[in-house]
Amino acid sequence: MFEGLQLFGAGLLGFLTFSSLFNVAWATLLGILVGMMPGLTATLGIALMTTLTFKMAPEDAILILICMYVGAIYGGSRSAILLNIPGTPASAATTLDGFPLARAGKAGKAMAIATSGSFMGSIIGMLLLATIAPVLANFALEFGAFEFFWLAVFGIIISGHLTSLKDPLKGWIAGILGLLAAMVGQEGVHAYQRFTFGYFQLSGGLGLLPALIGAFGFAEILVVMTDSKYELVKSKVGSVIPSPREVFRYWRTIGRSGVIGTVMGIIPGVGEDMGAWASYAAARRASKERARFGTGSIEGLIAAETGNNAAVPGAIIPVLTLAVPGSAPAAVLLAAMFIHGVRPGPLIMIESPEFVFQVVAMIMLASVAILIFGLMLTRPLLLVLRVPRERLMPIIFVLCTIGAFSIASRVFDIWVMLFFGIIGYAMRRMDYPMAPLVLGLVLGSILDKSLRRGLVLTDGNLTEFFMRPISAVIWIASLVVILYSIGPFRRAFQRLVGGADVHAGDKGADGG
Amino acid sequence: MKADFVTSILVILIGLGAFVTSWRMPRYENLQVNPYTVPGIVPGILSLILLLLGIIMLVRSVIRGGWRIEVPGVASALFSATSGRLVVALVLTLGYAVVLVGRLPYWLATVVFMFLFVAAYEWPMHANRRSRVVSLVGAVLIAAIVAVAVTAVFQQVFLVRLP
Repeated sequence: MFEGLQLFGAGLLGFLTFSSLFNVAWATLLGILVGMMPGLTATLGIALMTTLTFKMAPEDAILILICMYVGAIYGGSRSAILLNIPGTPASAATTLDGFPLARAGKAGKAMAIATSGSFMGSIIGMLLLATIAPVLANFALEFGAFEFFWLAVFGIIISGHLTSLKDPLKGWIAGILGLLAAMVGQEGVHAYQRFTFGYFQLSGGLGLLPALIGAFGFAEILVVMTDSKYELVKSKVGSVIPSPREVFRYWRTIGRSGVIGTVMGIIPGVGEDMGAWASYAAARRASKERARFGTGSIEGLIAAETGNNAAVPGAIIPVLTLAVPGSAPAAVLLAAMFIHGVRPGPLIMIESPEFVFQVVAMIMLASVAILIFGLMLTRPLLLVLRVPRERLMPIIFVLCTIGAFSIASRVFDIWVMLFFGIIGYAMRRMDYPMAPLVLGLVLGSILDKSLRRGLVLTDGNLTEFFMRPISAVIWIASLVVILYSIGPFRRAFQRLVGGADVHAGDKGADGG
Repeated sequence: MKADFVTSILVILIGLGAFVTSWRMPRYENLQVNPYTVPGIVPGILSLILLLLGIIMLVRSVIRGGWRIEVPGVASALFSATSGRLVVALVLTLGYAVVLVGRLPYWLATVVFMFLFVAAYEWPMHANRRSRVVSLVGAVLIAAIVAVAVTAVFQQVFLVRLP
């Protein structure tokens, strides 16, 4: 505990230099802008920024990416409040109460509440990251091939289920497609080139970053350019300084949403969207003002915004301790850590504990930055929402093209970006979630290696896969999730627990 | 349900194709390798699961009547305004990324793409000649500024190689 505080202090002090603070300022601001603009998501922002910062020192690059991440998830609330369009999918729950408040002439108040909620959410998540990550990393030392295999399976099942609550089948199909896409290229045991069909460019596999830039950038451009135009709400902005009394009136909601958001972040591939929806649903269930939810409730807005920002540090917890991403943007962060030579995973608390607390310090700096920018730059930031999409989208596409190319200076990666963009557009139009696809791309190699290693260790005996204690917990949890998505089982379960409120994720979630 | 019917067939085809490809992967029996390490084992299992999920979706969509595809419905979807906007966006973006990038100097390819995109989407349909000229000049200016700024920032600040 004391050692953790020392490492955190050292990490924070290390970032209190002009160049680091400058990086915090511009990266968070850019993140807020990315989050605000419909069509630009946190995942795309971090992916593009990864391609631009890979020549920087690892600490600087990761600091910039985390600031971009925190900023983008917060920034999404602006367009949710003012346009009724979530700037990132993580802000979908914010529209429910944020937009009605703006329409009622309280846009400034709504933005102030969203800023406070996001700040508190990030701080709660950060505290939980600092306390949970060392414990989880220690626990993960017990993980072998069997446990990692089941963790990958569980990740796809839970992510597929929670990001597509209306139809988990689509979530699972997306996840398996992601796993299959990860099989492309040379495998690790016999160096056989799978699914390359004679194209040598595929022997290294499909690049994660070009695929993500396509699925979250190009696909989004196509969606935005084919949808009807959006309009800025005509509302008096008013004061954007939150009243502390009003915010602390909802301290229970803030605390609960912070914890729920972080837990949702920890679950592989679920992330900020579900952090917001689950916090919103819990707040509505517990609220005395339940009827006001959906019509401009301050409590609803604060729950959603605390929940989604708390999920950011939450999603980073499994990245650091298990090398498994908690959300789509966290998947990019994980890839960026590998690019920079950081080796996240169960050994992190042994090999580089200081890095974990540096990440905690980075989140703290980003949280303070969103609070400052959120309260100070309200009116200038509004100008961004007035940029016509006909001018913004081609610029984004130019950035997507450079981003995909710059990682390895290969034109082939531009084609990968285009391919995933078109697939992503089709999937989005057919209501398939993207987060399980991304998770599948990341977890594919873990699943492949763990299953084959496990089978070799036991000489094909599956008992070990099912009987080891941690494995048993994970496969039983996976089975429960599958059964829960089947009508009769779900109804029986709901009768058992007294009718759970499932409204929360009716819309599902789809990786920030 | 109609979309589910079509996509389920696609998912089944992908599952089948992946399974056949996995089955054909070498098993290195002559090298006496452990059969549990053969390259096709994991993709084979995954493609079977995908096949199963596709069949479940197909059965579900057939039960709900998704197989009844009406020609007028498909035609109106194909020729809708949304499809038109999608085609324009695809032609412009693919034209830039596949045709222009790598064949023209990067800045020039970007100028051409930006100009065409802005001009196409901001073209005043019901306006006089003067407003159309103004619109085109505006598109040229935006295209030039973006191309110069992007090229300079990426090459000079981020030291990124451009295609």
